[in-house]
Amino acid sequence: MDKSKMTEMFFGPNHPGVPGNYGINYFYEGDTVVSAEPNPGHLHRGFEKLMEEREWIKNTPLVCRICVMEPDINEMVYAMGFEAIGKIDIPKRATYIRSIILELARIQAHIFSIGGNCGAIGLYTAMQWGVLTRDYILDLFEEITGGRVYHIYIRPGGVRHDIEDVTLQKILDLLNDLENNRMPEFQKLIFENPIAQKRWKNTAILNQEDALSLGVTGPALRATGLVHDVRKLIPYAAYEQVDFKVPSGQDGDAWTRLKLKKDEIFQSINIIRQLINNIPDGPVSLNLGNALKYKIPNGEAYVKIESSRGEYGYYIVSDGGLKPYRVHVRGTSTPLGLYGVESLLPGCRIEDVPIWAHSLGICPPEFDR
Amino acid sequence: MRSENELIKLLNRDLNLLSFKKLRKQNISIRFENEELVSGLNYLKSQNYIHLATISCVDWIEDNQFELIYQLFSYEDKISLSVKTRINRKTSKFVTIKNLWGVAKYYERDIHDFFGIKFTGNDNMDELILENWNEIPPMRKDFKTRQYVDKKYDWRQYHGQE
Repeated sequence: MDKSKMTEMFFGPNHPGVPGNYGINYFYEGDTVVSAEPNPGHLHRGFEKLMEEREWIKNTPLVCRICVMEPDINEMVYAMGFEAIGKIDIPKRATYIRSIILELARIQAHIFSIGGNCGAIGLYTAMQWGVLTRDYILDLFEEITGGRVYHIYIRPGGVRHDIEDVTLQKILDLLNDLENNRMPEFQKLIFENPIAQKRWKNTAILNQEDALSLGVTGPALRATGLVHDVRKLIPYAAYEQVDFKVPSGQDGDAWTRLKLKKDEIFQSINIIRQLINNIPDGPVSLNLGNALKYKIPNGEAYVKIESSRGEYGYYIVSDGGLKPYRVHVRGTSTPLGLYGVESLLPGCRIEDVPIWAHSLGICPPEFDR
Repeated sequence: MRSENELIKLLNRDLNLLSFKKLRKQNISIRFENEELVSGLNYLKSQNYIHLATISCVDWIEDNQFELIYQLFSYEDKISLSVKTRINRKTSKFVTIKNLWGVAKYYERDIHDFFGIKFTGNDNMDELILENWNEIPPMRKDFKTRQYVDKKYDWRQYHGQE
């Protein structure tokens, strides 16, 4: 490598094209990235250490803050880990409500992500529309849980309180609106837009071999032709009771990943409708005693669920005390945001770096947890 | 596709396991001696355990040991395997597995940051998340957050506060 011909670029941590407080330092020659290195750590808040010093229940309002886009996902994995170690079976209605919340969360994350991807190529109208459409779902979350972004709703033993039938009807109305009005607009504005197609097709390609060796999951892996989805591989919540197909693509480029996200929105709508139609009656949480004195026997579990971008895992160790002994968070984009930058980014053109980062779903708070 | 019992039988036949435990549905943990770990992981990789989700580390301060946990998954068997080994806390040294999974390079750097474990063979052990850190690694159990904050920062006095 002749470094005299290259220029070093500090892409982030303050750059509109970078998804969050995170930097990529790369050398480029002409228009092409030659070598790159991730620069994380700007957002480290010491969650894992903090969790060891708080009682089990007090971590529920904490974990949702690990990733802004996936608050419910974090609450769910944490609660699942607690229940797996304590061998607790939660009521059936609670599993249905959890699945409804998780699918709503997936839709809002996908819509926001599609908007973000449009922002990365300068299609700002679609970005604003994405934010707006997501807001309708946040309104629903506010009605169900009391919070817009962070919900603190899924907790060990079930969910915080029940969803009323009126709200379930509102969810169905919103889904109808999304399917019949919003998504066709997105289709016209984004997916039938020749300029957007040109920018996304054959850009930021991730092949199957690299994806598997890096441990990439979610839409990025499914865009390479596989149909792996944690909801099918290790079913959790109420996913065993619903009938759905996991969409997949072939080309592994940014365009395929975005189309998959769009398809998954329709799939999530389908799942929520099935769940709401079959939701059983009954209690929504277990009485585990004094919330500040929750205790589970010593043990460990690696639990994972499918977030909007792939596998989200927690490794939880309990020593039988009032607090977790150790919680390790495996964020979805950790392999891509760290090693992926070094191994996959070289060869990418400068103007495609934001597309690379956004379409692969890099979320810095996950590896700065 | 193998069931959990078939998998445990196979591993007991081919590998030198110290112990194994069913954690929950589709989640098994197995433990190796230090020297056996890399060959064990190599074998598991050949048995379709190709997905390395992450490497976790736990500080068992009372046993004077660190525990490293390699979280594997097989898309064929649909089983999560937590592969564990314990290393001495004082020497805190282990070997890298970056030749098996390149991505392990960064997981190891992360563990080096927060637990101070050196991975021989991984030549880049620079700080990844932390910056200019001179204290004991922060995720160790003997690092006390409150003491560190008291030492490092001045508490601010507010109006009406004694």
